[in-house]
Amino acid sequence: MTRRILHIGVALLLIYVLLFVQLELIQVVRADTLRGHVQNTREITMVFDAPRGSITTADGETIAETVSVSGARPRLRQYPYGSLYSHIVGFISAEHGGSGLEQTHNDFLAGNDLGVRIQDKRDLFVDRARTGQLELLVRHDVQLVARAALGRYQGAAVVIDPSSGAVLAMWSSPHFDPNYLSSHDLVAVTNDLAALNFDEERPLTNRADSYLSEAGAIFTVVTAASAIEAGLTDLVVLQKNTILAETPIEPIKNKRNVTCGGDLTSLLLTNCRTGWATIGVDLGTSELSHRSKIFGLTESVSINTASHLKGLLTPHKVDLSAPHVAAGIGVQLSPLHAAHLFATIANNGIRIRPRVVHQIQGHDGSVIREFAPELLGQPITSDTALRLQTMLAANVERGTAQALALDDVEVAGMLESGFNDHPHAWAIAFAPVTQPELAIAVLLEGDELSDPQVTETVVARITRSIIEAVLRLPSPNLEGTQ
Amino acid sequence: MNHQRIVELTLLLLAAFITCATVALAAVGEEVEITWSVVPYLVALLILWTIAHITLRLRAPTANGVLFPIAALLQGLGFALMVRIDPSLASRQATWSLIGIAGFIAVTIGIRNPHQLSKIRAPLGIAGVLLVFLPLISQSAPSGSEISLALHLGQLHIVPGELGKLFLIIFFASWLANYRTRNTEEYLGQAQHVEGDRSRLIPLLGGWLITSAILIFQYDAGSAIVTFVVFMSMWWVAAGRPLDLAVSFGAIAATIVLAAGTLPEFQTRLSAWIDPWSNAQLGDAITRSSFALAGGGLTGTGPGAGNADWVPGVTDHFAFVPIGEELGFIGATSVLSAYLLLTGVGLRIATRARREFDSVLAIGVTVFLGVQAWASIATTLRLLPPSAVSLPFISINGFALLTWNLALGLLLRISEIGPEAADQTAVLPKIKLKSRSQS
Repeated sequence: MTRRILHIGVALLLIYVLLFVQLELIQVVRADTLRGHVQNTREITMVFDAPRGSITTADGETIAETVSVSGARPRLRQYPYGSLYSHIVGFISAEHGGSGLEQTHNDFLAGNDLGVRIQDKRDLFVDRARTGQLELLVRHDVQLVARAALGRYQGAAVVIDPSSGAVLAMWSSPHFDPNYLSSHDLVAVTNDLAALNFDEERPLTNRADSYLSEAGAIFTVVTAASAIEAGLTDLVVLQKNTILAETPIEPIKNKRNVTCGGDLTSLLLTNCRTGWATIGVDLGTSELSHRSKIFGLTESVSINTASHLKGLLTPHKVDLSAPHVAAGIGVQLSPLHAAHLFATIANNGIRIRPRVVHQIQGHDGSVIREFAPELLGQPITSDTALRLQTMLAANVERGTAQALALDDVEVAGMLESGFNDHPHAWAIAFAPVTQPELAIAVLLEGDELSDPQVTETVVARITRSIIEAVLRLPSPNLEGTQ
Repeated sequence: MNHQRIVELTLLLLAAFITCATVALAAVGEEVEITWSVVPYLVALLILWTIAHITLRLRAPTANGVLFPIAALLQGLGFALMVRIDPSLASRQATWSLIGIAGFIAVTIGIRNPHQLSKIRAPLGIAGVLLVFLPLISQSAPSGSEISLALHLGQLHIVPGELGKLFLIIFFASWLANYRTRNTEEYLGQAQHVEGDRSRLIPLLGGWLITSAILIFQYDAGSAIVTFVVFMSMWWVAAGRPLDLAVSFGAIAATIVLAAGTLPEFQTRLSAWIDPWSNAQLGDAITRSSFALAGGGLTGTGPGAGNADWVPGVTDHFAFVPIGEELGFIGATSVLSAYLLLTGVGLRIATRARREFDSVLAIGVTVFLGVQAWASIATTLRLLPPSAVSLPFISINGFALLTWNLALGLLLRISEIGPEAADQTAVLPKIKLKSRSQS
């Protein structure tokens, strides 16, 4: 019997060893991975009641602040502009964590970051609640313009300063009011969040950075860049209206079955799918995927906020058919990515990381950390960029994007709509052509019933009004506010 | 002065110190408010320990001196960490501690000889089955996603399953002791043919049925595993044969596979276990407990500095989470070691018991506590599918606390080497089962 009891003892010891091992795995070995897990809302929930820094725009509007209130909980997070910044700033909740900058920059806002916590020598000895204030590069006026321009339509608009990478506005509609999600009424918060989660229109999703839509003609800019870099500038493509792909995919047809061809500029001006497809065969898949990669379209690039540049050039499609990719068929981009692509061209081929946060300030307004413009490489030479700028300007002047033309300034850009399986429409542009001050991407979702032509007109009108307003608005004197 | 009692007093003082220190540290933590109203409950807890210790001195002076301090330490830690999460639990927990210690004292005084329990084994067995399945009868259809093993009697929230299991253990120990007496020859190695008493299969069948019922009707893998392991351990020690053991494991494995294939609720649990990241409803508790444990890291956040109430069910089934979070890997392994020590001491008591019944009962009670703790911790560590298993002595779970105290009392009773120790007549020589090949 004693021997049998020994068996039991050994068995119990063995299963307890499992516990020790698993505990070690969770608490020590994989602890850092788990702490940084995207679904981990523990840290942010812990600081819900703690003092928290405010968030202001480049032109000094406070868009998130923590105020003292009476009641069971001492503080309340408020967003004075409601849903205007819902996708940039996000929300913070006692039970459900947070999103947006509230989540990604929690360490600075809550004072967990060492630089924020110890702001002067006395902070080493006195435990004071130090918080960091976030100053963004987003401009309140531009953001208001973007919201007003998009109006009741579903979609997204991103405005980037090409020379600095500053994201001046990022608006996505439908939207939500973070004030409700940060409320102290936890039951109401849970209900609201569930309702938002189950909403088919997905108001919680930031369409500007995480909604991938077929790029179509927008992507032919990359094809053109590849062709110019490869020295195919004098190439003239034969007039065609259909190309039968070698692979068993659908053949490539031009819109409205027109016959087109010619040099690169005329291909761009006529949105000539067959022409781009022909060039695609010459360039091959490896060149196209390489070019997309150095343009930063295939990978996620952090932009110092909750938003990432999510580009998806579905790899298997690149492998399958170079002509399809060259014509942008099946290639998907997010509005932020499209804006980044055009900003790079507008900035003479130099890629600069898009930024939302400008700096983090201490309690006395001193700068604790600054996010400076960051070079991400140069995917094309400045000559190539210049050629592309000229082509895109010509496209607005006499090509497919004439709807984007403005009276006073020269605009370069593209319009695209009429996709087979989705009713969305794109407008990507930068202006003024000679000295670009902004690059803009607008995506309109449209619906099954709407005529592509009408959607395209609407998206052009929205883009035009944003460009117009931004160029006429006075630029904020950033140096003066510091 | 008795050696065991001195050990007990020393360890109890240590446990009291750790408990008070943890409460004090948590109170100092800047963001937590432990109101002074908790102090009376803490004092009450310490007084209860003193009473229990004095009772043991008077009534069971030679009983094991390590068991009670371990249980006291675990209970004190649970009190210190849980009460902070929900101060309204303090009075309830204190009341149940009072009832629990009262039960403990009643067992140590009332049951001078555990063998007496054999006489009422039939009512105990029936009561055990009833108690285990009472929640099932009172609410014929448990709601799909929620783990509910509780019985609601007005304001009172009782989980009778634990007490039921303890009753079943006593019944089963008595049955097995009887079985061994009936087959004395075989166990003495004097039998001509070890063909075996077919009735040894009855408890296997019973254990399998009860385990399967828990699995199928309550979808609770943890509870089923505890029941099954306890039964199998007792049976293995008293009457076990390797082939029977293998068949039993096969049967229970078949039940699990069958349940996983047919019961949608069970499948939901399994999928939430395998991939908790995408199942927000059931997986939430698991992912959050992993995050909280990882947040604690090696040294923990310190008492009172954690954020454990963010994990659902933290005062009961996930009671291990605040320990791991606030005391870190070091503190958590200490608690694990405490349970392991408790189990080890229990098994040692079983080897030294005076009677067959005592020995088998000690095995049952020890494995019950040890595996229950194991299953509860394993659930929080994602080694088991989501189940509702309370952590012995730490969880705030009133009725279960009483059960664990009763079990502890029984174990202490068995460990006592009293004047009756001279009575060796009922003891069978401890000879291992004669191997089949020799027959």
